[in-house]
Amino acid sequence: MGTAQNDNVDVVIKASLISKYFPGVVALDNVDFEVRRGESHALVGENGAGKSTLMKILYREYSEDTGRLYIDGKNAKDMDIRQIRELGLSLIHQDLNLVPIFTVAHNICMGVEPVNRLGFIDRKELKQKAAPFLQEISSDIDIDARVQDLSISQQQLVTVARALVAQPKFLILDEPTARLDQKSTEALFDFLDRCKQSGITIIYISHRLEEIYRICDRITVLRDGKKILTAAVEELTQAELVKHMVGRELKKQVPKEEASIGEVLLSVRDLHPMLKAEAISFDLRFGEILGIVGSIGAGKSEVARAIFGADRKRSGTIRLKGEKLRIRNPRGAINAGIALVPEERRQQGLVITESIRKNMTLAALKKKFCAGGFWIKQREEKEAVKKSIKDFKMATPSLEQEARLLSGGTQQKVVIGKWLLSESSIYIFDEPTKGIDVGGKHDIYKMIVDLATNGAGVIFISNELDEVLALCDRILVMFRGQLVKELVNKEVSKDELLYYVMGGKDNESKNK
Amino acid sequence: MNQKTNNWNKFIANYGLLFAFIVAIIVFSFWSGHFLSWGNIQNILVQTTSLGVCAFGLTLIMMMGEIDLSYAGLTGLIGAVMLKMIMAGYSPIWVVLVCLAIGVVSGLCIAILVVGLGMSSFMVTLAAWFIYMGLERYIGHGVTHWIYKYDESILQIVQGHLGPLPIPIIVMLGLFLLCWLFQTRTRTGQYILALGENIEAVKEVGLKAKLIKGGTFVAAGLIFGLTGLIETLRIGGSMVYSGRFLLVYALGAVFLGSAAFKAGKYNFPGTLLGALFFYTIINGLTLNAVKFYYIPLVQGLFLILAVAITTVKRGEIEQVQF
Repeated sequence: MGTAQNDNVDVVIKASLISKYFPGVVALDNVDFEVRRGESHALVGENGAGKSTLMKILYREYSEDTGRLYIDGKNAKDMDIRQIRELGLSLIHQDLNLVPIFTVAHNICMGVEPVNRLGFIDRKELKQKAAPFLQEISSDIDIDARVQDLSISQQQLVTVARALVAQPKFLILDEPTARLDQKSTEALFDFLDRCKQSGITIIYISHRLEEIYRICDRITVLRDGKKILTAAVEELTQAELVKHMVGRELKKQVPKEEASIGEVLLSVRDLHPMLKAEAISFDLRFGEILGIVGSIGAGKSEVARAIFGADRKRSGTIRLKGEKLRIRNPRGAINAGIALVPEERRQQGLVITESIRKNMTLAALKKKFCAGGFWIKQREEKEAVKKSIKDFKMATPSLEQEARLLSGGTQQKVVIGKWLLSESSIYIFDEPTKGIDVGGKHDIYKMIVDLATNGAGVIFISNELDEVLALCDRILVMFRGQLVKELVNKEVSKDELLYYVMGGKDNESKNK
Repeated sequence: MNQKTNNWNKFIANYGLLFAFIVAIIVFSFWSGHFLSWGNIQNILVQTTSLGVCAFGLTLIMMMGEIDLSYAGLTGLIGAVMLKMIMAGYSPIWVVLVCLAIGVVSGLCIAILVVGLGMSSFMVTLAAWFIYMGLERYIGHGVTHWIYKYDESILQIVQGHLGPLPIPIIVMLGLFLLCWLFQTRTRTGQYILALGENIEAVKEVGLKAKLIKGGTFVAAGLIFGLTGLIETLRIGGSMVYSGRFLLVYALGAVFLGSAAFKAGKYNFPGTLLGALFFYTIINGLTLNAVKFYYIPLVQGLFLILAVAITTVKRGEIEQVQF
């Protein structure tokens, strides 16, 4: 046993035969995981594969049920988070674990605030202490701003800066780009390049293939709590990697189908999704998938929420099949046949302490599962939910499982499934595949294409240009709250689309 | 234009309660010439002390997203214990120390059950209230005893002056300053607030969230012990269930305070204002010989009015910011 350690002197993180059990689930099953000094190591796998669990064990947020863990040659089994941080390990969480009402500087220095002689926090020094770490990762975040006033993308960058305060030798990033816009993503990559140059070991969890190949040296693939393999990136093509992750061959990344597009279904005129921007207008036709792209903060979600009546609507006229709609609240939208799958699924789309069954039939309860508008028809409800679970390949032990215990991908399927049961005529998807693995994405794409094929109108909001190009018939580009460009998918290339997303103008694009 | 309205709304949301308080003072002072006399102001402040002190402890707890109702029973229990000790002839210093120690032990027990064993703070402290009520009856047999009959020296704590101010006022304002500075300026104080906002943010950087939480329960226990001490001395004896009125008033003061200065967040200046608000209304109405049953009625109306101003205005702020 001891010989294995001596063979690899440069192994700095060595987890052997780690197992972790949660009620009813084997999260990790005898996993071996090794990271070498100074390398960038990608940890990939579908949702629920055990990536986050393994990282939380490294960071001592969880303790393993069996197995051994050595970090930098030291037995980390009985350490707590503070000791791990002193060893030089920092974890940047997928969740934004920030204090919203504190300033950026205070959040960055959380736990190590400088104090004066009286024991009071020295605000001035706090700022000076935080500034260089923030500067590492971003130059346009106000260090005095409260975190609650920042965009999600900026908040994520603050968590990166906070991790740096511990002067880490090992940096774990759990899907850092899932919440970042294009510009911040580039800033993060530049930062990671600098980290590599200064010899910091990086463990990088991501669902984005291009990022993994851009940043990492080696890849470890987890599937269903087991380690599948560890290999150098050069030895693994993207197709092979994806194959290892899902365990089955994906024929096509995205199921693009030719849809037959009909009359105008929804016409939006003079909508003010954001306060300071100009009004926007567009149409959606039967059987059409209309993409809305733009970086974070461009106002994509605000359009969705304005149509859905989730925020007090800002003037404008919405016509459904030629009839003028007056939507004051989400209930009005649902009654009119509009469904919204929101971006923050845990906060906005799910009752996380309730069962899959109750979540899924919530929107359609009155329309489909009620006798006399009062009693719930339980048998029919259960049948419908069972069918959905099978159709959408949801990973769950039963239809009574609480939503909070499901993986991110399955949660999203529950939210989408909820609206499919409501049989609406218009579906709005806001970043439906965010933080979801390849196989889960595929299932969701298929659900969306099926909807359009059956004649529904779909508005597909996304930050991932690839999926927009693969799915949508028409694409609207938003920039700073304005509709800057309408593109027909067949006539546009990815770099052209990106140019508009990043705020490029028409006349300059061709000349220069 | 919008920015202007937004700032104005923010101003109303933060200072609406203070404004209502000032209006009440102006109305009362016109109604009765005696209202703004130094003697009466001292009167209001002294009456507010036990509520104010208690509400400061509660603010700490509620700030970190928990609740503690034990003070409602603890006050009566401490009153009974105090009288037993005074009757047995213990010196005032021992009496004070034992009272405060009871508060600390109470806080410690709650901390172990809530933080250590993960029980619900509402249920645990509700149970603690009942237990303390039972203990109070067991010790005091439900009989009212007056302190002056046994030992007057301890009463000097509340009757004495330090400079121009009666000691209870100094205790309350001193504790206010201490809590306020502690919470807004020290690291631990800020972590208590952070616990209520996002406990994961505290845990993630390796801070001992449970220790901070437990410590806060103990500190609040100490403050509740002080509440029992002041209340018993102020009444001048142990009356059955003497802390019961505090239950609703302290919660009211903290909630009302959360509608002031930092709209929507618990804060110590707000709590102090909330506590003063209640007793100002009681005092102003009593001074003008308003029938006693109108007093809660007027208090309730003021509560709704104050919260209405801030809530409505806050709603508009959120809408503007989106």
